[in-house]
Parts: sequence; C-alpha cells; structure tokens
Amino acid sequence: MSIDASVSGPVQAPAPAGAAVSVENLSISYAAGNALVPVVRDVSFSIAAGRTFGLVGESGSGKSTVARTLLAQLRAGSKVIGGTVRVGTQEVFALPPAELRALRGGTVALVAQNAGQALTPSMRIGAQVHEALTSHGMSASRSQVLLALDQVRLPNVKDMARRYPHELSGGQQQRVSIAMAIAARPDVLVLDEPTTALDVVTQAAVLRLIKDLCHELQTATLIVSHDLGVVSGMADDVAVMRNGRILENQPTAALFGSPQAEYTRELLRDVPKLKTRGAGAGRPVPESGDPSLNEVLVDCKDVTISYNPSGPPAVDSVNLQIHRGETLAVVGESGSGKSTLAWTLAGLRGATSGSLRVEGGGSGRTGGDLGEPVSKRSLELRRMVQLIFQNADTSLNPRRTVAAAIKRPLRLFGTVPRSQEKARVEELLTEVGLPASFGKRLPSQLSGGQRQRVGIARALAAGPDLIIADEITTALDVSVQADILELLSGLQRTHGLSTLFISHDLAVVADVADRVVVMKNGRMVEVGPVDAVLAGPNHPYSASLLASVIEPGDLDLPSAPAEEQTWKDDPEGGWEEPGNGHRIRKWKDA
Amino acid sequence: MKSVLRAAGPVFIIGIALIAINLLLAFLAPWISAYDPIASNSDAALQGPTAAHWLGTDMYGRDVLSRTLNGGRYALLVTFLATTIAVAAGALLGCLVAFLNNWIDDVVMRVVDAILSVPTILALLVVVAVFGSGMWVIVLAVVVVYTPAVTRVVRGAARSVSSLDYVTAAKARGEHAGPIVVREILPNVLDVVLVEYAMRASWVVLLISSLSFLGFGANPPAPDWGLMVAENRTALTVVPLATLGPIVALATFVIGLHLTADGLGKKLGVDRAMTGVQ
Repeated sequence: MSIDASVSGPVQAPAPAGAAVSVENLSISYAAGNALVPVVRDVSFSIAAGRTFGLVGESGSGKSTVARTLLAQLRAGSKVIGGTVRVGTQEVFALPPAELRALRGGTVALVAQNAGQALTPSMRIGAQVHEALTSHGMSASRSQVLLALDQVRLPNVKDMARRYPHELSGGQQQRVSIAMAIAARPDVLVLDEPTTALDVVTQAAVLRLIKDLCHELQTATLIVSHDLGVVSGMADDVAVMRNGRILENQPTAALFGSPQAEYTRELLRDVPKLKTRGAGAGRPVPESGDPSLNEVLVDCKDVTISYNPSGPPAVDSVNLQIHRGETLAVVGESGSGKSTLAWTLAGLRGATSGSLRVEGGGSGRTGGDLGEPVSKRSLELRRMVQLIFQNADTSLNPRRTVAAAIKRPLRLFGTVPRSQEKARVEELLTEVGLPASFGKRLPSQLSGGQRQRVGIARALAAGPDLIIADEITTALDVSVQADILELLSGLQRTHGLSTLFISHDLAVVADVADRVVVMKNGRMVEVGPVDAVLAGPNHPYSASLLASVIEPGDLDLPSAPAEEQTWKDDPEGGWEEPGNGHRIRKWKDA
Repeated sequence: MKSVLRAAGPVFIIGIALIAINLLLAFLAPWISAYDPIASNSDAALQGPTAAHWLGTDMYGRDVLSRTLNGGRYALLVTFLATTIAVAAGALLGCLVAFLNNWIDDVVMRVVDAILSVPTILALLVVVAVFGSGMWVIVLAVVVVYTPAVTRVVRGAARSVSSLDYVTAAKARGEHAGPIVVREILPNVLDVVLVEYAMRASWVVLLISSLSFLGFGANPPAPDWGLMVAENRTALTVVPLATLGPIVALATFVIGLHLTADGLGKKLGVDRAMTGVQ
C-alpha cells in the first residue's frame, strides 16, 4: 500500500530524543462551586514514536481527562493547575488557535468511544473522509478517499463511500472514524475506549486493525480503556490510574506478570478469567445435583418474535427451558436477539408465535403464559418475573428516594402488609449490602454499584421466581462487577431464584452461569452446561466468540477473525448432541 | 431554602423579588391605598404629582396611585387561574400522550396544531363576543388557547423521559398509565413545566391587559392596568403618569416573570450538567 506517497501536509519537526508525546507533572482540577476538585494529579509519562502506551483505571480515575489533554481539550470548568503536555516540540496548551486547529486531527488524532456519534449523520461516508483529508491541507481525490477506506479494510469501498453512517454497522462506523483519524497521517493517535461499544468479535478485528496501522505508520499511540484485556493486547507500556494519580507504569508483560501496586493486583483478581479457569471453577453445583433434573420453571417452545412482519424475525424459533434455581446465560453479539427474548419474557412486548409457559409450582400457583404482554398478565404472573437493567443510572427515578423505589413493588404486589413495608425495605437494603439509612437517599447520591444494588433490591421486593438480568454489569467497573455478581449468586442460592443472565461477556458468563445459550441472528446455535461449552466441541460462531476473548496478560491480539460468516445452517437442520445436555446446531462451511 | 436561592443566582432572585413586590402590593391594595380607586373628584381632575396624590389624578379626579395599586388585582387573579389551569392540564396531557405514543398521541397533537394555528387575540375576542366578558369565560378561553402550547413543549421533554429504564421498569411491573405519568414522568419534566409556567404567565398577563385595553376585559370604572392605559392615553401629554403608572407596574411584573424563567432554566440546566460530570 503506497501510503507515504500521498503525504503532502505540513511536516512537523521531529520529536526530540524519540518522544513523540511527553506529559510532565500534569495536574488538572475541576471547579465545583468555589472549591477546586483535583481530577488529575502529577501525572507524567512519555510515548516514543511507534510505541503504544495504555492507560487503565476505573471510571472517574482521570484517564480520559489525561488522554484528551493531548488534543489540548479540557472539559468545561476544568483547568490545568500545573505541568506540561508536549506533542513533538509543541507545548499544546500554549498554542495559538490556528496552530491548535492544525494540531487537532493533523498531528494528533482521536478515535472516540462511540463512532456512531462521532460521525455526522447527514453526510455520506466519502464526504466525511474527504473533509478529514482536505481540512489538513491534503489533496483528496476520489481515489485517495477510497484508498483511506480500503486501508481500514472496509469491504466494497465504492459502495461504502456513498452510504450514510446509519447504514453501517457499529464496527464499520468505528473503522470509518479510524480512517478519518489516520487520514492526515498523525504522529500521535489517541484511542479513548475505542472498542467499548463493540461486541467481542468486532472488537478483536478493530483492535487488530489499529495495531497493524499504528505499526505501519509508526504513530505514537495512547490507548485508554477500562478493559485490562484490551490494553494488555495493545500496549507496549501500561500505566494504572486511580483518583487522578498514576500508581504504576511498567512494560506490559511486567505489569501483568508482577504487578507492584496492591490496587493493580486487586483489579487483576477481580477480572473474570476464561482461559486460566479450571474445570468447575465457576459456581458450585447446587446440592440437589444436576440442575437439568430440577423442575422446569419456564418452557419456551418455538418462540418467534418479529418487529416487522416483512423482515427477518428478531428471535427465530427458540426452544429453551429455564429450571428452578439455575442461572441460564444467553450470549451473543448485539442484534442476536438476546435482549428481545429477555424483554418478551418480561412482558414488554408480545411473542409473535410459539409458547412461553411458566409453571407455578406448588402452593396453588397456576403459572401462565409469558407470551402475553404485561397488560394481559395476572398480578401473580407479573410478580414472578422481575427485570434488572443494564444501566442503573437510568433505571431508577432520579426524583424518588431509594426507599420509595423499593416500596413501590411491595405495595403493588401486596408482598407484605402496609404496616411492615418500612421494615421490609430496610431488610431488603441490608440484604443487598447497603446500610438501611440509604433509604432516604436519592439515586444521584449513590455510586453506580450502589444503584445497581438498589435495582436488585427492587427486583427482590416483588418476591420473584425468575430474575432477568440484562447486561447488568456492563456499565460497572471490574471490582464493582465482581461484587455485584457475587451478591447476585448469593441471593439466588438463598432465595432459590432462577436467573436469565443476558451478556456479551463470555468470561462473566463462565463465572455465574450453570448453562449457556449462544445466539446468532435470532437463532440458538449452541446450548449446554458452561463447562461443556467452554471445553468444546463448539459451533463455529461460539468458537469465534471464545477465540476473540482478550485477557489481561495476553501480550498479543487474537488473529483477526473472519469478516464474513464462514458457516451456514445445515439445510437438513437438526442438532449434534455431544452429551450432557450439550447441543450444537448442525452447520456446513459456507 | 436559603441555599436554593443562593444557588439560583442574582437573576432569579431579582425576578422573584419583582414578582413578589407586585403580588404583595396588589394583595394589600385595599388596605394601603389612600383613596377609593373608583371615587371621582371633579375638583382634583388632571393633576400632576402632589403631596396628596403622589402620582397625580386622572380626568375624573381619581387617585392614580390608588388605581395602579388596585389595578393589578383583576389581571393577576385571571393570570394566576388561567396559567395554573392551562399549565397543569397541558403538562398532564403532554406527559400522557408522550407515554402512550400511539394513535391518541397523533390525534391529540393534530388537534393541538389546529388550535395553535388560530391567532390568540382573535380567538379570545370571538369568545368574549359570544359568551360575554365574565371572569371565568376569559379564564377558560385563555386555558383553551394556551393548553395546546404547553402540551407540545412538555410532550417533547416527556418523550425522552418515557424511554428511560425507570419508566420501562414501571411498565414491566404492570403499572397503569396514570401512576406512571404522575410518579415517574411528571417529576422529571418538572423543570420544563416550571419554566413554562413563568413564560406563559407573562404572556397571559399581557393578553389579559390587552383585552381590557380593547374594552373586552375589566369594565369601567373598575381599576385595571389595561383599562387605565386605554382611558388615560388621550391625556398622555397632560398627565403622563396616569398612563406610565400602570405600564411600569405591568412591565416590572412581566420582566420579573422573564428573569425568573431565565434563572430557573439556567439553574436547572446547570444543575443537570453538574450531575453529569460528577
């Protein structure tokens, strides 16, 4: 690929002593009222050309704030208290506006987390790439635009250039924003959580692409992520941040091999791991023995759910059982239909065909049909199924106290007499590990993990049989995630709950689930006990999911997975059954 | 309460103060005004400011200060009633149709469009001509004219709220539309509703005064700002204070409402940005 030939922009002076970026003693504070709250304290690091530097930390650690200073960008209300940020020979915060514009996108380029929002919805892809080239004084003929798109391995670039952003998948959008970022041949590339919004297979492909391009173009790269695996696979050196400080800064292998800071060790301990996990390392098997012998709670037969009668169904003839007391995980990429299935079970939309039968069990309960939307369900049926949401920030009403949020289902389902409601709320709060005094607080006064605990308490208040947990830990930091998962499985054991656990993260699933269902394009492709699915043999889609997992300590990325689907359903249908309830949909090479 | 006021900023405090002074004077007018506002005195007609009549007298010899103090009572009462009913109805309707998001939404919004396309003052004149100018006729006419505008604004805000997870959670519990609107949606669009209230009130008070000015609101000899401007404008060059008095009173009230709406919007907006950062 003749990349160097097309360089015609202003050439920057070479960086001294090989450091393309050097940040020295940087401190940033944020003005809250009259007080100054430090968000970054005394941070120093440097990145040489052609090297990749990773910043990891939990939300609020200041890692993104540091990353954005390379573009001389600060959040409104923040200011630099001390220290310098140099890119090449330039001190970025001292640049006049014209040179700052040349710096941004020209010398330093940014790939943001959500490519869907980074692209202009009303402009064609080709026009946006064209703009990225011309705004930095590069000539941009049509062939150069197509070359830029080709460079990020987009298929069928002529057609791509004519499309609008919404006509692309998330992974393709992220590729376009990468193409725009590298269009002006930047010396420095800033990646701010570049793959957090993508599913694992796409993540692996996009990361592989970025790594190869950075190597080719010899850019100095800063990657910011909360995902230790991503940073481990991408970076040459890694710094761990907490509360605005860098706790340790080491070459990647050393950091993951022998972490110095106690905090780093905690982080690594809390990350659920797939590859190093021994057989049966996940949940202890319930005392009653094999859960598949237990009573069936929910029985889905040929469930099909369509949003649009003419299009393909979102969920296509799914057959599955959820047993009493088990955790069934549903895994798949976005668009696989896993959330649609969960929402139907929760009654937020009706099933198009098929039956979803829930058994009442003993004590005179009748059970009922979960194919009905919630407005047609009996009170008893609504009580039996409770939902926990992905985003605890939006699942609690910001104007109502924690106690009011938990009290509502108690009142609605008449779980306890009115006189005991207050005591029951306090009991539930204690049960999810929060002080009873938290009842008086508003959601904004809680941390993300605490809000998710309130969400769990609210679901428990109804006294459910089935809890649907829809990606409940994706918005949380790893250490908080570990706590929440532990809480959930503890509650599940003590209450004998069944859980439908929706996730895209195989490592988390391996830790919490008894059985796992893999979905693709609305169809189940594999189902079985977690250990059997992890051990294989696997459906090729499950295999690609497993292969795409990057764990902390992996010093390289998985080889780029195939872009196109390499398999198709066996036209004769049917399932392979390696035994122990493990079933794989029959397939053929495409 | 003190910290709330301080956090709201000077603009909000000045606005609230202007409103409070106007309301207080109008409320206390019967006790603090020196003269009967409708008692005429032909010996003292068309006087400039004197020690006895601080703002002078009008063509019938009535005390301008007393009439100005009393002149807000009718307009402010009608404004309060009409705005409160219109904003309450519009907010509830807006939240409800935003939540339902089905054919009812379509029907209601097309009716809203139809009503909004009728010029306000023209609609009011027609109503008054047909049903007379009783206070409740005017209140209801203003409610009919202003509810659709409030509905549209609140619906816009409520639509984004009603797609949030806590509304979904309430739906999944099987709650009915009423409790969801009142408990989950309305409290979270309250900032929009408050700003809307202040803005609408300023328009309504001007509208009521315009009606009186045109002779369709308060009837002579009742003291009323709009009516006073209409009565005294012919004597503008002789006793300018008789016209300026009610105008200044009306203007300070409207400016107060605008500043309050401004400060409120800014405060609530800033507040939201801050919670996003932390």
